[in-house]
Amino acid sequence: MSKITKSSTAEYFAKNLQQVGFSSPLKAVLTTLKEAVDNSLDACEQAGILPDLLIEVSKIGNGSTKNTDLIRIVVEDNGPGIEADDIAKVYGEYLASSKFGRGQCSRGQQGIGISAATTWAQMTNARGVSVTSKTTRMRKALSAQVDVDIKTNTGIVKNKETHDWDREHGTRVEFISDGRIQLNGDGGLLTYIEGTILVNPHMTITYKFNEADYVTITRVSNEIPRIPEATLPHPHTFKLGEFITHATLFGKVTLSKFLKTGFSRISDQSISDFVKAGLPKSLLEKSITSISDEEFKKVFSAIQNTNLMAPSTKSVLTVGEESLSKSITRLGEIDFFAVVTRKPTICDFKPVVVEVALARFKDRNQSTDTSVTLLRFANRVPLQFDKSGCAITWAIESVNWKSYGLQQSKDSLPNGPYIFAVSIVSPFIKFKNASKETIDASDELVAEIRLALIQAGQKLSRHIKKEVKEADLERKLAHIEQFGPILVEGLARIVGAPESRKKKAEEGLKKLLGRESEEAIADLEAAESKLLEQKRKEKKMGIEHDDIDLEDEDFDFGGDGEESQGTRKTTTTTAKTTTAKTTTAKTTTTTAKKTTGKKS
Amino acid sequence: MAKFASIRELKIDIPKEAKILAERMLKDLENSKRPVLEAVKTSLDNSLYNSKVGYLTPGDKIVRTELNVSSVQKLARVVFVLEILLRNLDIGSVNTKRELYYMCKGLIKGNKSLKPLDFEDQSESDSIIDFIGDMLEVYREELNCFANDRGGQTYSQQLVVTETLQDGDKAIIDLSTLGTSPFQPKNKPQSLKLKAKKKIDFCLIVESEGTANTLVSMGFTKRNNCIVMGAQGVPSNGVRGWAKLIQDQLDVPMYFFGDLDAYTLQNIYRTLKAGSAASLIRNADFSAPNVKFLGVLPEDVKKYDLPHYKVRESDPVEARALKKAKDALEGDPFFADKKNKNLADILRWLIKEKIRCEQQSFFSVDPNDPIKTEKLILEKIKKGIYV
Repeated sequence: MSKITKSSTAEYFAKNLQQVGFSSPLKAVLTTLKEAVDNSLDACEQAGILPDLLIEVSKIGNGSTKNTDLIRIVVEDNGPGIEADDIAKVYGEYLASSKFGRGQCSRGQQGIGISAATTWAQMTNARGVSVTSKTTRMRKALSAQVDVDIKTNTGIVKNKETHDWDREHGTRVEFISDGRIQLNGDGGLLTYIEGTILVNPHMTITYKFNEADYVTITRVSNEIPRIPEATLPHPHTFKLGEFITHATLFGKVTLSKFLKTGFSRISDQSISDFVKAGLPKSLLEKSITSISDEEFKKVFSAIQNTNLMAPSTKSVLTVGEESLSKSITRLGEIDFFAVVTRKPTICDFKPVVVEVALARFKDRNQSTDTSVTLLRFANRVPLQFDKSGCAITWAIESVNWKSYGLQQSKDSLPNGPYIFAVSIVSPFIKFKNASKETIDASDELVAEIRLALIQAGQKLSRHIKKEVKEADLERKLAHIEQFGPILVEGLARIVGAPESRKKKAEEGLKKLLGRESEEAIADLEAAESKLLEQKRKEKKMGIEHDDIDLEDEDFDFGGDGEESQGTRKTTTTTAKTTTAKTTTAKTTTTTAKKTTGKKS
Repeated sequence: MAKFASIRELKIDIPKEAKILAERMLKDLENSKRPVLEAVKTSLDNSLYNSKVGYLTPGDKIVRTELNVSSVQKLARVVFVLEILLRNLDIGSVNTKRELYYMCKGLIKGNKSLKPLDFEDQSESDSIIDFIGDMLEVYREELNCFANDRGGQTYSQQLVVTETLQDGDKAIIDLSTLGTSPFQPKNKPQSLKLKAKKKIDFCLIVESEGTANTLVSMGFTKRNNCIVMGAQGVPSNGVRGWAKLIQDQLDVPMYFFGDLDAYTLQNIYRTLKAGSAASLIRNADFSAPNVKFLGVLPEDVKKYDLPHYKVRESDPVEARALKKAKDALEGDPFFADKKNKNLADILRWLIKEKIRCEQQSFFSVDPNDPIKTEKLILEKIKKGIYV
């Protein structure tokens, strides 16, 4: 007879790391980095600290497996630190999490990620993670190596030592494991960093990849995002099995207590509604541990058949249009952008908030034939793989971007040097699989994302329209200048007309065509004033576009298509809102191209 | 320098008309008024057909090109090309469209101020030339612009052609002395005079030049007093003008023998007989309304059990032609006319049956008889089995 043995969770994951993000050398590096950064950011936010992160990723040799390199990944933060006793659990134990099932919009939720990264390091380099940690309570920092004991699913701490450190509190992790570095492209490290920078305006980050220099991107916001209260799940989002499992978390309480405290939106009134829908009244005061599965089934179907109020939307947080607009300037020199933050709403009985940022960059090195760069976020964590199956991608493809001025082939992403960033925040995001790479596309969610995209598209189109009208005007003026004289000369030659007639005809032609260019100018002015109106509205909400200073009413659009005047106070407006460190704030460097100086 | 023999009694003096036009435009510009150029609209919806007239004539619709910011480039080009054509007319020079295209490019290259006019490819200069022709209502040939005309290879033992050359000399061509070579009219067939040595019974125009050659090689023109001509597909202006000449000067019955399919009926036969919408201005001199459709007829297919095949959806030419046939039956004044009802019926039959039958299928009737096809054609002519 064969022996049937029980495996630990760690054993399962060790054998199936590909399910949680380690299915290729590239992904291994990205996942390790992501998990560490997620943890740092979450910890800082929970402790009310503005995050300062340091990241180093470099190739230091050949990997143990064929076609891999040995990669060193370092993530250091100024977070609250981890107590000595907890280090083993955090890094060495699977499913030991402070946030499991909590219903909060935190980045990490299950407690798998960092332990999987440790396991990967062990399996490919025979060494787990090196951790340095200091909390305010500790006098000195603690460094140690943590391995995962696969058989028992516990963490093993080795080589402990204490030492001084340059900070009050913080955590530093170093992983050395097999992988490959890819900087660009959908699955690239730079893409990940860009996304992280975008949705964390309160974060300052310094990163160094391989031999490149250190790059620092400073924060543009001093507000620490408030993580909303954990929310209880809504009963209509559960399947029967999940429902029964959920009950086991509550111990010996009565059924009615379980229902009222385990879910949102269940009141006494709801309970009597359940009874009307078929819930056996006798079960209400019974302890849930003594309720059989059959009886649970009756309870469950009664609940499903009762109308309940939609869940509250207080449990979601947004980056905010103002912060997004400042953050987006950190990614490069932009031509123009549009941001939209929707109001929280309910999709499939879950509170969800969608935010969209669209921007066109000046030097993106992208031709108009390549797809836009798509950044997807779930709870402020960038999603980088399996783009085509994601709800966000479906929503983008379903919008007709041609009507907003972008090129687009049928049923695909639009083209051009744009960044499309879409963020979904929800305490209960449904991913397609355990590696959390792509969001499940439910109809309600896709519809909500679409609305956000359409709003952003409308804002964007005002910028594009203005450009198009400008180009149109230029073309018309050029035509007049170029062809007018040729036409008149030709006619004069055929007719044998004297110079005086030629001159008169040229004048007449200019007048004629000049009328048309006046129409084009009027068109352009209309488009420009619409755009100005939009920018004014956005300024009231805190969104700055740094090419025109709206406070300076001395604005002249120039009736003859010439450059506009007015002083440029871009540096001062941004200085008001950002911290003094404007070293890398790209807003200040986009100095006005249009020259100053009043025209007489 | 002597002028080329003209195609017709040109009512207008082109240089003079052009000057008047330019003068008008210049005056308009001096007064800040928008000059407008008008040209006949050469499209099917502006085509009229009267069976007594026999060919498609232009209706009232015109295309107005008003000077504005978008059209200033086209008009500048028109004036530029017009100058070149006028100069050609003045010095008696002749050019093809392609040659004109390169001449334009050469002039632009040599003059910096003309650079904005530059043509990307020949189609652009072609359309300007066509526009000038439509605007002045003259033939392209009258602007001394000639196309590369193909087709029209003619065989006959009785036909004599007299050509008056530009310097007044005459060239006399007796087709019976050409041996196996055909006579091919060039693009100004109107400068020719025709005479018949003996009475010519009919003129047979065959769609395929190869088949025409076959018939003649087997002695068609020896045994019959006739003219055999190969159209070589869609008849060019030269072929059309040549057929008209034969019709008018020799007054012989004319028969067209080609494939039984929608494309042949619409694009080859109809164009030969009544001209086309695109050449509305020139149809008077470039169509032979008396040509009858000899075959292949639907009844021939049955009578002689001719091999034929279905039109495939994937075949672009035929499938499209069938689609066009449906439109033609409704919108084409030629097929709508009562006189052409039988032709329209053939089209309807083709649309219904969706088959096509080639002219060469006649060679299947009795392969052992090398001149069977000739006999069949003669039989049809005798019995009047034509439309």
